[in-house]
Amino acid sequence: MSAAVSEAVSEAMFRSLLADGSVVTVTATRRPRGGRADIKCSAPGAPALAARMQEVARLARHTEARYDSRDQVVISMDRAPGAQERDWELAVVLADRAVRGLLPPAAVPQLALGWSDGWHHGRIDGHDAGNPPAGALLGGPQHLRHLGALSGQPDVSASVSSARAWFPLHSGGINDSLCWVEVSVYPLAAGEAPDDEAIAAPCLDSARQHAVRQALAGARHFDGEAAPRWRTTVRFGQDGLHGNSYELALVLADRLARGREFLPRGRIIASGCSGAWHAGQVEGVEGLAPKCALIAREAAAGDRVLLPRAWEADLPPGLRDALRAKGASLACVERIGLI
Amino acid sequence: MMFDLFKRMARAPAFDAAGLGTELLARPIAPGCMLPAGATGVAVDRSGRTRRISAGGRMQLLDGESGWCFHPGPYGCDLAPFAAAPEIGLRLHFAVDSPDPRVSQQRFDLFLASEGAGDLSLAGFAGSIEAALQRELAQGNLDLPPCTTLDEWNAFRAGFNQLLYTRFGVTVDDCVPVDLRPGRDFAALLRARAVHEADEPYVGVETVPVPASVAFEAAGAAVAAVPGRAPFDPAREDARALRRLFLELPCLMCRVRQAALPSGQELFRQQQALVQRLDLVCLAASTMPALSLAAPGQPLAPSQQLRRARHSVRAAAALDEAWALLARFELAEDRGLEALFDDADRIVANLEHATGERKLASAGEDA
Repeated sequence: MSAAVSEAVSEAMFRSLLADGSVVTVTATRRPRGGRADIKCSAPGAPALAARMQEVARLARHTEARYDSRDQVVISMDRAPGAQERDWELAVVLADRAVRGLLPPAAVPQLALGWSDGWHHGRIDGHDAGNPPAGALLGGPQHLRHLGALSGQPDVSASVSSARAWFPLHSGGINDSLCWVEVSVYPLAAGEAPDDEAIAAPCLDSARQHAVRQALAGARHFDGEAAPRWRTTVRFGQDGLHGNSYELALVLADRLARGREFLPRGRIIASGCSGAWHAGQVEGVEGLAPKCALIAREAAAGDRVLLPRAWEADLPPGLRDALRAKGASLACVERIGLI
Repeated sequence: MMFDLFKRMARAPAFDAAGLGTELLARPIAPGCMLPAGATGVAVDRSGRTRRISAGGRMQLLDGESGWCFHPGPYGCDLAPFAAAPEIGLRLHFAVDSPDPRVSQQRFDLFLASEGAGDLSLAGFAGSIEAALQRELAQGNLDLPPCTTLDEWNAFRAGFNQLLYTRFGVTVDDCVPVDLRPGRDFAALLRARAVHEADEPYVGVETVPVPASVAFEAAGAAVAAVPGRAPFDPAREDARALRRLFLELPCLMCRVRQAALPSGQELFRQQQALVQRLDLVCLAASTMPALSLAAPGQPLAPSQQLRRARHSVRAAAALDEAWALLARFELAEDRGLEALFDDADRIVANLEHATGERKLASAGEDA
């Protein structure tokens, strides 16, 4: 990612919970290496734990594409978790990434809970906390399965392929936010006949479920998928959708999950719908101005913004340049798929 | 005695050219053989200098030279630019470049000299191209985003063509995005993964965490060795990586020196500094101690040999990045130079670090 500009971040902070319910703060700082170890860790009064922290951070670095030997990252915890606790691992890994500019900086330290036996594959196996507070980043099969999922990308080693794309949810000014849609696909067994439930969206009402099925079936038809191959689950980050501007994001997440779309380095942020997904067409939707403002605010380095071609003439001046300055890119499309 | 004389006069051994130009790019050739029609010979001496022997000639090799015979192609292959998107790919048609008279050594000849080992198959070569492409995309040096526009595609193509020319010495005839299905079926791939996962025992929380060194080395091996390939053999991997460093670093340095950068005192000084640091890395690579010796006559523990070999492999990986960076320098405009110099600084620092660690007899882990 855009760690190219070295002076981006010099400190990153994440929080985690201990078994007794207290909060531990993980702080990572970056300094010139000067012949020292690549990662230095410390926890008050627990040298064995520090060694384990260093190991976790090093293992998680194996999934990174870019190796930089110039910096030392110093990671510290302000209190020592018990020897059997492991929920702090995710916070350490994320702090190590954020301090090197691999994750967008956050205004307030985020709460992250998760442990893994497969950090070197980027996998997150689970979290132990009983009832974590809302808004926490949780590791595990039902939540964040692997590190790439932070930007919506499918895991290259899991047998269920799932991908996310984001869309702007316009709900009147202050509550505007980017909402994600996640598509998980699993191959149908040989000879298994697809039924109505082959595309399931458990959190939606029946009318919207029908719309989701229509959009996915159309887009897959456009791909030339002759026989249905997938059992599909669709989830949304928030309830209370209205309109159909999520469709483009849904279709793109589906294409990512089925391994049929080029991958952006960051997230896909898309808005658009279509009356003819079977022809791959993308049509315009309502709310150009607030959505563009939201995207300009929320986009981070590596993100790919896709908007309908119908919007191109009316885009706010400077949006393209503002996104490029952030390291994101924008394209207006009239159809999905290859060029 | 006399029989030896006759033996020398005897007919040159026949060269087996089967597959050359289709499944094979190049194959070692014995001295004295006639080159098959359309194929070119490359003679490599002990220090890695190469010369070409034009098509139709006889491989007359001097003492200590080894011979290669390659067919210029054209070749075609399919690449998957993203490991996570196996059903979408690029169909590439390329040819080994006709010699460029402006350079003293063709890049493809250098490739054969430093990385050639036995037959160079099209599949193996395509694998190397794919790895280079995936790394450039993952690092963001090339961009192939979803719903690529025509402008973005052209920029990608320019960068990709230059990468292949600079890194492998081949020219791209044509490259188009393709649907790789039904040749590659993602559903079948996922099913295979599910079977594989079921075989692996579940490792729960209650198990004691693996000791740092063991887990770290296991992960290191996973990076160096792609599953399905032979296990990591320290001696062989180390020798291969060091040969690459020894042969390619001087050429790389030459190219960095020649890279026509926009004038300017500050840039010039940065370039000078880079070349000087590369020079020292070169020196380090050519004075590298033997893998298995801690000191003259003192054998080194196998675990330390493994550590040394890993650092050689890392240095070779940084070398790959350096070639890719050179390709970007050759396309660069004035604007992006700052980022390129920063990347160059990172890559040279990685080279320095890896060669420095390779020299050490035992790891000195300090904070």
